[in-house]
Amino acid sequence: MLRQEQSDLLTQTGPGTPMGRMFRSYWIPALLTEELPGNDCPPVRVKLLSERLLAFRDTDGRYGLIDEFCAHRGVSLWFGRNEACGLRCAYHGWKYDVTGQCIEIPSEPEASRFTKRIKLQSYPLVERGGVLWTYMGPPEAQPPQAEWEFITVPPAQTFTSKRLQESNWLQAMEGGIDSSHVSFLHRGDLDSDPLFKGAKGNQYNLNDSRPVFEVVESPGGLYIGARRNAEAGRYYWRITQWVMPSFTMIAPRGNHSVHGHFWIPIDDEHCWSWSYDYHPIRDLTPAEVAAMREGKGIHVRYVPGTYRSLANSDNDYLIDRVAQKAGRTFSGVEGIAMQDASLQESMGPIVDRTKENLVSTDNGIIMARHRLLRAVKALVDHGVVPPGVDPLHQKVRSAAVVLPPDVPFTEGAREDLIARPAVAPASV
Amino acid sequence: MMLSESTRMRSAAEARFRVQARNSTPHAVKVIALDADGAAVVRRLAGAAWAHATFFTAVPGVRLQADPLDGPADQPPPRLRRSAEASATAEAGSHVDASSETVLSDLAGRLRNLAEEIETADLIVLVAGPGGHAQHATFIGQACSRQRVMTTGFIVGAASASESSLSKTLAQVRPWSLMTVIANSDDYIDDMMTALRA
Repeated sequence: MLRQEQSDLLTQTGPGTPMGRMFRSYWIPALLTEELPGNDCPPVRVKLLSERLLAFRDTDGRYGLIDEFCAHRGVSLWFGRNEACGLRCAYHGWKYDVTGQCIEIPSEPEASRFTKRIKLQSYPLVERGGVLWTYMGPPEAQPPQAEWEFITVPPAQTFTSKRLQESNWLQAMEGGIDSSHVSFLHRGDLDSDPLFKGAKGNQYNLNDSRPVFEVVESPGGLYIGARRNAEAGRYYWRITQWVMPSFTMIAPRGNHSVHGHFWIPIDDEHCWSWSYDYHPIRDLTPAEVAAMREGKGIHVRYVPGTYRSLANSDNDYLIDRVAQKAGRTFSGVEGIAMQDASLQESMGPIVDRTKENLVSTDNGIIMARHRLLRAVKALVDHGVVPPGVDPLHQKVRSAAVVLPPDVPFTEGAREDLIARPAVAPASV
Repeated sequence: MMLSESTRMRSAAEARFRVQARNSTPHAVKVIALDADGAAVVRRLAGAAWAHATFFTAVPGVRLQADPLDGPADQPPPRLRRSAEASATAEAGSHVDASSETVLSDLAGRLRNLAEEIETADLIVLVAGPGGHAQHATFIGQACSRQRVMTTGFIVGAASASESSLSKTLAQVRPWSLMTVIANSDDYIDDMMTALRA
């Protein structure tokens, strides 16, 4: 249960809101690099943190993320011409560079001072690991660029997708740290999904369907450990990382790739669910990449030409009651991503947390809210940089390990929870 | 275009028609300090207003004996008296289980029957500090297991604890906690209690 004002604080991320200010402390994923495939390619509409923006790539390959609307008459620059190092409004020809600076007003005399006085809001847009990242906070507080391991490994070792989610970011993110739902909603996928099956650790999962949870604060967020019995009185631990505000990394299985998510607010009723898969020490195989593109693992198949899942609310998520009855899927919805999203979207655009009845296994969610609320207050009241901004907080890994029963997993897996170049992930 | 039922039902407009009636009855949360660090947190916590939470300490070294002179035998349960090693601060009360190795003391110092307290609980929260004496976790955990009551272990003061002291407490608390929480700041337990509607 969360008081309404606390829920409002965490779910509202538009300009001027406390949580919006917090998101504006980070480099956040804005687009896939493939969305701007070449110089002078068509611009792309981007809505982030309740601001309508336009991304484009100019003649010299520079990326820009600027206010979508022309300063002259408020026309959308999406209709503009991307040419000669600038985006020209289709209405009267005003032209802007990647910083949002107006560089030409055809109706004004050449070298007119007026041009210099026109500048659209813009944010930096940089490419790292197949993703275009933006920072939407004050320039003087711009942090070092993102250092997540999945964007620092060679391109052949990593794959990232994004999916439109039609709900507030927080209920989507809370699903990512709600480890106890996995034994129900996603049962069956361990055996069948090519990106999960075959790992020894799966047997621990299948032999012990009632894991015990442990939540521990980390420098950037939380470690969420799920413990199952292993041989000789030892424990099999699956340790998920949550880094503020909305990054998760799920524990690996065998030699499969490691995966996780970002949830980035579009507005208060929609978010982007980013999904990455990578392997720290080897290339992804063609079969793995093909499976990811086919919507296996945590990815989805798209409605062609969009980043919306083919199974979506408009077609009732293609729910298959026969498969549900037969036990092939628990909810009748196919695929891990849409199994989650269908239920999270069913909560409504912003779930009413005053009516929920949390239980003890929800401590991961409770502590994440606690940390977010504390960080927002520290930022707003005292200007304290929130956890997760420091690149050290981003150099993390999830882990799957077997440990003696009395060992804190933060000690037993201390090295395994840190991203170390050329070192294999700790996995069972 | 006709919207699908799922699309219509997830809208903000439809959220207005959600049933507003209460969807739960109060849950009884009982918070038990296992050691001195835990007791300090529990005393602080008990100072706040909680609708459905009660607070105890597990009394170390207490063994209780039935007093045959105290009340007629046909009026169970018998009043009990504490053995010599009982804490001087704990006041003997009714309904204390003589067969148990662990009893509870409420914050007024009255002894309480462990089994009876667990029987009326929906959640037991065990609070202990690193390196303390959390051996009561076993007795309490066994009783919870018998009664099918959920347990949460809360380790306080972990931020500055050594690995060995944390291991010691975890070894005692982990086997009996279906959820273990290790928080840097003890004020997390306040938020947890609120979130659980305690």
